[in-house]
Amino acid sequence: MNRAVVIGGGLHGLSTALHLARTPGWQVTVLERRHVGRHSSGVNAGGVRRLGRDVREIALSAVAFEMWSNIVALVGDDCGFQPGGQVKVAENEAELRKLEGRAAQVRDLGWTHEEVVDQAEVRRLLPAIAPHVVGALVCRGDGSADPMRTVMAFRRAAQEAGAAIVEGSGVTAIERSAAGTLRVVTEEASYEAERVANCAGAWATRIARMAGEEIPCGVKASMMIVTERLPHFCTPTVGPTGRPLSFKQTAVGTVVIGGGHQGLNDPERETSTVLFGSLAHAARIAGELFPCVKGARIMRSWTGTEARTPDEIPVIGESRTMPGLFHSFGYSGHGFQLSPAAGAAVAELMARGATNLPVAPFTQARFDA
Amino acid sequence: MKVAVVGAGPAGVRAVEQLVRAGLEPTWLEESPDGGGRIYQRPPAGFRRGYRAIYGADAGRARRLHATLEALKPRCDWRPDTLVWNIRTRERLLDTQTAGRRRDTLAYDALILCTGAMDRILPIPGWTLPGVTTLGGAQIALKAQGVGIGARPVFIGTGPLLVLAALQYAKAGAPPALVLDTTSFLTKAMAAAGLLWNLPTFLRGLRYTAALRMKGVAVAEDATPIAIEGEGKVMALRWRDSGWREHVTPCDAVAMGWGLKPEAQLADLAGVPFRFDATGHNWLPERDAAGRTPVPGVYLAGDGAGIGGAEVAELAGARAALALLEDHALPADLALRAHLDGRLRTEARFRAALERAFPYPAHLARRMEDATLLCRCEAITAGELRAVARYGGSEANRAKALSRVGMGRCQGRVCGPPAAEVLAAALGVPVEQVGRLRGQPPVKPIPLPGAA
Repeated sequence: MNRAVVIGGGLHGLSTALHLARTPGWQVTVLERRHVGRHSSGVNAGGVRRLGRDVREIALSAVAFEMWSNIVALVGDDCGFQPGGQVKVAENEAELRKLEGRAAQVRDLGWTHEEVVDQAEVRRLLPAIAPHVVGALVCRGDGSADPMRTVMAFRRAAQEAGAAIVEGSGVTAIERSAAGTLRVVTEEASYEAERVANCAGAWATRIARMAGEEIPCGVKASMMIVTERLPHFCTPTVGPTGRPLSFKQTAVGTVVIGGGHQGLNDPERETSTVLFGSLAHAARIAGELFPCVKGARIMRSWTGTEARTPDEIPVIGESRTMPGLFHSFGYSGHGFQLSPAAGAAVAELMARGATNLPVAPFTQARFDA
Repeated sequence: MKVAVVGAGPAGVRAVEQLVRAGLEPTWLEESPDGGGRIYQRPPAGFRRGYRAIYGADAGRARRLHATLEALKPRCDWRPDTLVWNIRTRERLLDTQTAGRRRDTLAYDALILCTGAMDRILPIPGWTLPGVTTLGGAQIALKAQGVGIGARPVFIGTGPLLVLAALQYAKAGAPPALVLDTTSFLTKAMAAAGLLWNLPTFLRGLRYTAALRMKGVAVAEDATPIAIEGEGKVMALRWRDSGWREHVTPCDAVAMGWGLKPEAQLADLAGVPFRFDATGHNWLPERDAAGRTPVPGVYLAGDGAGIGGAEVAELAGARAALALLEDHALPADLALRAHLDGRLRTEARFRAALERAFPYPAHLARRMEDATLLCRCEAITAGELRAVARYGGSEANRAKALSRVGMGRCQGRVCGPPAAEVLAAALGVPVEQVGRLRGQPPVKPIPLPGAA
């Protein structure tokens, strides 16, 4: 029996553990410093989005989309996934032309999921949208899921597949043992393993450093606010083209407003703080796009800490200083949708050293230049 | 120096009084349209009932506090109808909102939080029916508006407010159909020695109970509420007496309350650490006897800093202001300080006895039926919370993330304490071990910015 340790009990760690635990011959242990889904995995906006992806991410996102479409088969729960669509609206003709350019670019790469629609179709998709919106880029199968429910579904599925999940267990060192295996050391115990995955999110560069490897990657803390429940008026997840905002109405009627506005981040203390100034900006844009939310009341605000790479796409691949250690982090605030596919790819890399899944663009070699 | 005082109840009034005496002109923020706090809440303009009719035995105190309040308003930056919804400790800024819309940001060098308290409730089947309110709510309806919650109400809970509110209704012509006290006479009697630390208040409590019985109001001690019954409105209370006999008492309204809990969300956002007080069964912000917190520049006074009642709040408000003045090398009245310290020490002993005399019925919360609605904002039952306790929800914030308990309008201010009991019981741990919900801005819902 081969042994694997996954460092980090976020969604990517759990997905990696799930896929590897289902691979015959592998015994998997997840080490989570706090508790499963503590940071961005549990509190993100739950966007299941192919729309507007970096072109290097489209292929993996497309694989993930197939898995989301049948997520029950993967984890035994629908994760609250609602394929209500994702819509990027154009607020003027110039933005609409920009969206047309993007659609053409994606089409030229052989993908058909992004589609430009006219004003009438936007109105049909979004009856409550402000009248100045002239068109949109739409991805109809996309939507959103419930992040905490997703984390718990992956956790349960990983455990049922035989993975052990140890919470409250922070990694302090990674060494190569005399026998040639890897040894992952925590304050309480140490774990021998043939393969180790680094899925430690905002703290993954520290794990890399334990293996003597320096990977350029910072952190981010995207903020979100949620309103009180409103009558249903919007099914898709919506964002404008020229301004920072993400907007969705949940199944219970609350409206979640985000859009990458950054809070105050303190990775040392593992906390992040909401800064209302820039959130107010997002809220104002929300009111301009959806006049009916003006006057709705804010109930809560929050942030979650996440890793951000210089080019905002993840690092996936084997360590160059410690073979047997595989990195999977730096999803830069849009890793939620990718998690089923990324976990499958990393598990394959760990189990057989190669994968047919499209993760080649994400090796750290891209930072060498 | 820029000093801000949040709250214009008994603590806030006495704090501002001392600050103004020392020559400061504080900014004074009050969420309600006028000061006085919940205990001395003033009727709307144009109401003509006299102090005696509104405040009863407290009329003198109310009159004096209101007089001071009025004298202070022109001597500070008085901002009524203003909610402080966020504190940014590092920059020492308050985010405020006035009259439900106007936003402002206010810089401060020192801050006194006098944020008061709210009723502690216990969810029972039917508690969300129209006609069910808190003891405090029932009292304010009578005090401020001159209306009752019903013609034949039932009062359930424990503590001094239970008997007082019931008596006020009896006097106002709406005699309660039943006063149900979950505490036994024995528990109260055992705390009696400590209650002598404030003999007048203790005697007043006994007098109220006697007066209630004289008026023919049924008072059941050591009793258990089972359910509030009715279709679309309150029609009856089903309950069990100390001998486990079941009764159904017809009624048209229910007021419930088991003591108070501090409204300490702003202290939380300010970064003040909290500790669990086993006697009062509440999480309290840390402060010294004078009201200083471990966060420089932040002071606490009144029920928001730990339940003490209106008399204590007046003392503590003045004391916190003196501490602030001393810490900033401003002249403080040393004779007054000595007097306040002595009074506060005595009152603390009385309060401890009072908490022992009227304990929160944690056992009832712990054995709440699975089907009982626990979080009314998000419609989560006790059973649903127990289910997540079994699956990783071993801590209050975790359980909130997994179950949505405390995610709604009240942000856990209502359901938080009973939810913590349910969770602790499901996990088999003491309630303090499951922690408390972290504060998140806004402390109360506020309209989206840019709203029409």
